[in-house]
Amino acid sequence: MIKSKFPLFCGPSSRDLSPKARYRCMRNSLLIVMLAITLIPLSITSGLNFIQYQQLLREDSHANARWNAESARATISAYLEKLEAAITVVIDSYAFEDLSDSKKLEQIFKQLKKEHQGLVDLSVVGPDGIQSAYVGPYGGLVGKDYSDSLWFHKALTRRMYVSEVFTGFRNVPHFVVAASKKDPYSEQYWVLRASIDTETLDRFLALADTEALEDIFLINDSGKLQSASRYHGGAMDDFQLTRKPKQNDILIFEEMRGDSSFYRAVSRIQNTPWLLVLDQQGAEARKIWHSFKARLLLTLTLCFLASGGMVVWLSRFLAGKFREADETRDAILSETEHSNKLASIGRLAAGVAHEINNPLAIIGEKAGLMQDLVGLDQNFSHREKFLDQLGSLQNAVVRARTITHRLLGFARRMETSLTLVQLNEILQEVLSFLEKDAAYRNIHVILQLQENLPVIRADHGQLQQVFLNVINNAIDAIRNDGEIHITSRRENNKTVMVAISDTGPGIAPDVLKNIFEPFFTTKGNEEKKGTGLGLSITYGLVQKMGGKIEVSSEVGVGTTFIITFPVYSEGSEGESNDRA
Amino acid sequence: MTAHRILIVDDELDFGTTLAERLELRGFAAKAVGGAQEAMAVLAADWRPDVVLLDLMMPGIDGLAALDLIKQHDPKIQVIILTGHGSTESGIIGMQRGLFDYLMKPVDIGELITRINEAGAK
Repeated sequence: MIKSKFPLFCGPSSRDLSPKARYRCMRNSLLIVMLAITLIPLSITSGLNFIQYQQLLREDSHANARWNAESARATISAYLEKLEAAITVVIDSYAFEDLSDSKKLEQIFKQLKKEHQGLVDLSVVGPDGIQSAYVGPYGGLVGKDYSDSLWFHKALTRRMYVSEVFTGFRNVPHFVVAASKKDPYSEQYWVLRASIDTETLDRFLALADTEALEDIFLINDSGKLQSASRYHGGAMDDFQLTRKPKQNDILIFEEMRGDSSFYRAVSRIQNTPWLLVLDQQGAEARKIWHSFKARLLLTLTLCFLASGGMVVWLSRFLAGKFREADETRDAILSETEHSNKLASIGRLAAGVAHEINNPLAIIGEKAGLMQDLVGLDQNFSHREKFLDQLGSLQNAVVRARTITHRLLGFARRMETSLTLVQLNEILQEVLSFLEKDAAYRNIHVILQLQENLPVIRADHGQLQQVFLNVINNAIDAIRNDGEIHITSRRENNKTVMVAISDTGPGIAPDVLKNIFEPFFTTKGNEEKKGTGLGLSITYGLVQKMGGKIEVSSEVGVGTTFIITFPVYSEGSEGESNDRA
Repeated sequence: MTAHRILIVDDELDFGTTLAERLELRGFAAKAVGGAQEAMAVLAADWRPDVVLLDLMMPGIDGLAALDLIKQHDPKIQVIILTGHGSTESGIIGMQRGLFDYLMKPVDIGELITRINEAGAK
């Protein structure tokens, strides 16, 4: 059965394996199949969870980087818009001549500086590009010609212009916010210009800095840093940006620094030549991810261990059950085969014995008559020799008769033939087999057999076997010195009972509940190992004969088996036949 | 002890006549017949036996049927079955129908006489 069901694991040569190796092979096959069944789905689920959580964290990182970039962009834009608004108010409120007055300009500068951080200086540049007024730390800049400067031309062509960061005449990185206005008289454009320190940008960018933020800085389109970077240097240093966003989009992509990856968000700041670059750690690098991985690993390990343990136990248990079932089947088959064999022998023996008995009786009677006649005739020649010969002949007849009668007795035990039997007689017969053994062990058998017990319909031989098993077990339980009480009585109109009690050590409750199970034995440690079939067969035989066997036991006191059988009556004959 | 009349009913006439002869040597009045019908004829002819030794497996009327016929004729006649084909069941059935005893062939003559005397005394 096993080799055909597990050819894959046991291989084609499994039929040559020993039973032990076959069951081991089956156990291993079960183990592999069940491990695959439990662990593969578990691994797949865990893998999917891992990927899904990673995806979630990635999306979270994207959203976080986007939010941080938007927030930083809004901060810079707000600062610039506020400054641009202030400069627009000033240029709209005053004429070129008014602002060319240094005192007036200084007054306005002081006012602006109060409200706008990082404002370094304020200057007015005429339509010819010559700086006509200047308030700030670089006093020598009055009269400077900016007609060739890029910012000046941009400012003239646009109403408002925010420059890239540059060093200019002062050789210090800064940027300018310049507004132009048309002079109503000359109809030419002049410019009001404010210079702002790049450190101001650094300060605003630092506001967006969080724990997860690795770097935040501004660059221009040509890759020059517009503010200080943690990793790439100060303003005006070069930086290589791999991808740029279109217009107002925030572009987020993954970059590598050394062995670790991070997310880079890049966005343009509107109305400026700047791009905001924000580098942020991925969620994978953060605590939450490590903690998730650790928990997942722990859960998975525990599940693997638990499932593995269960599977190992289950495969052993199932293989054991298969083995038990196979052994039971084999034992039953062997028992049936044995019984059939014995029944055949029994039928043959009975036939032979019957056929021999009649001629044997004739021989016996003839020899007997001859003995009688010769014995009566005192003058018969060779009388003594004849009598001697006839005696031998009679002895041979007796010997042959003993054999045929024994054969018939054996045949009667083998055949399942239900006859009317007296329980007391069977008990006496069984005791005649066992009394020597009991006496040898100093075990007293005390009989309380009710006289005139009604007959029961049962198989003589099988009934002998039932009592033989139970009394034999009682003797084995006592071992030496003790008592066996055998009681028989009529319980009521319908049943008779036999109780067999011993003064043995008793049976523990957990053993008692299995006592009629096949292959259950407690005789494992003794010299003669029990087959575990005795009480199981006894149980089966009693049931087959329409009876009932019960056991009760108390540890330290003894054990009692009570066997009841239905009393034979004319009406119950058919029923008993059916049961047989 | 009164010498009992014994009727032996057995299809193995060789056995029956030899046994009858042996019983006669021991003081019994014995007759052997080969079947139940002959036995009934002997009974009808007013030869009343005290004990009938009856075989079980006989052609025609078998032992148990013959037992019924004998008991119908005279319930006081004691019947002992003496057979080579015995079974416990037929013995029990016989006992229920008034059989005195049930013996298996070949039987020891001493044991047989003991049982005959017991039956005759009943």
